[in-house]
Amino acid sequence: MPVPRLSLIAFACAALMAAGCDGPQHGAVIERPAAAPPLELQTLDGGSFRLADQAGDVVLLYFGYTHCPDVCPTVLADWARARRLLGAKAADVKFVFVSVDPARDSPEVAHAYAMQFDSSFVGLSGPEAAIDRIKRDWGFAAFPEGDTRANDYGVAHPASTYVVDRQGRLRVLYHPGVIVEDLASDLRKLL
Amino acid sequence: MTLLAACGRVAADAPGDNPLASHAGWTRTADSGATAAVYFMLTNRGSVADTLKGVSSAEANTVGMHVSMQQGRMMQMAPVTALPVPAEDSVAFQPLGAHVMLTGLRRPLVEGDTIAVKLEFGSGRTLEVRAGVRRP
Repeated sequence: MPVPRLSLIAFACAALMAAGCDGPQHGAVIERPAAAPPLELQTLDGGSFRLADQAGDVVLLYFGYTHCPDVCPTVLADWARARRLLGAKAADVKFVFVSVDPARDSPEVAHAYAMQFDSSFVGLSGPEAAIDRIKRDWGFAAFPEGDTRANDYGVAHPASTYVVDRQGRLRVLYHPGVIVEDLASDLRKLL
Repeated sequence: MTLLAACGRVAADAPGDNPLASHAGWTRTADSGATAAVYFMLTNRGSVADTLKGVSSAEANTVGMHVSMQQGRMMQMAPVTALPVPAEDSVAFQPLGAHVMLTGLRRPLVEGDTIAVKLEFGSGRTLEVRAGVRRP
């Protein structure tokens, strides 16, 4: 007996919803998202940026360093393009660059660096102890490579952009080089 | 793992010309003292392979070739001391891959500027890469 076409469509839609196809489709999607680890750093105005205070907004985080010549500027430039694709919806997305090179990146340097890519971007740094705490809480390593007495050493840092949803849950990670249109499409689904 | 893309065959050039050429060179705006990456396409139109062995520039205190590599969850850079440039082929210096790294810029790089990087090859040939400065 032929199955009515509308039933097939309804079934396909239900299957897609069950598989989470209404959520992010690209990057490494976390199946059972849980609250993101804490992150708190002082801001230039004397206040502080607390991740826990950002509920209601989607937050993108990248842990890098301002002397990073290649990957960090590529990621932040891609963020800026994704933000432009979001149009008015971008108002509900925060793009946050966190330096894991506190020896060279003061909060001023980190903020000025992030703002080169888009004036809405937030750049954060802090004392070494605060950055060490973030590394511990988030479960990643970041360490200098080369002679730190010179000013030209590199810093190994996490590859991925971390995305926290409007409920404060870590939802998805994107490798550098993610297609910008895919990133923007996923962010729309989180808004 | 290699992040250096070979980008197709190119026509051989007349004898006597420098078979090495670059095009599409660019870098990002940056402050004085900062670090920048220079990207370009390097082409060897000759019938003999060559090796890129040195990079220099008056724009920075330190200049080197690097390749970005993802190792597990981490992003790292490795220095490159010699880079083969096959005959009748091209090598891409591009974001998230090979790049010339300028450390300690001696002046701000402003949109619309052009900077020069000198490449030195195993054959003794040299090549000047011209890179336009773009907004990030």
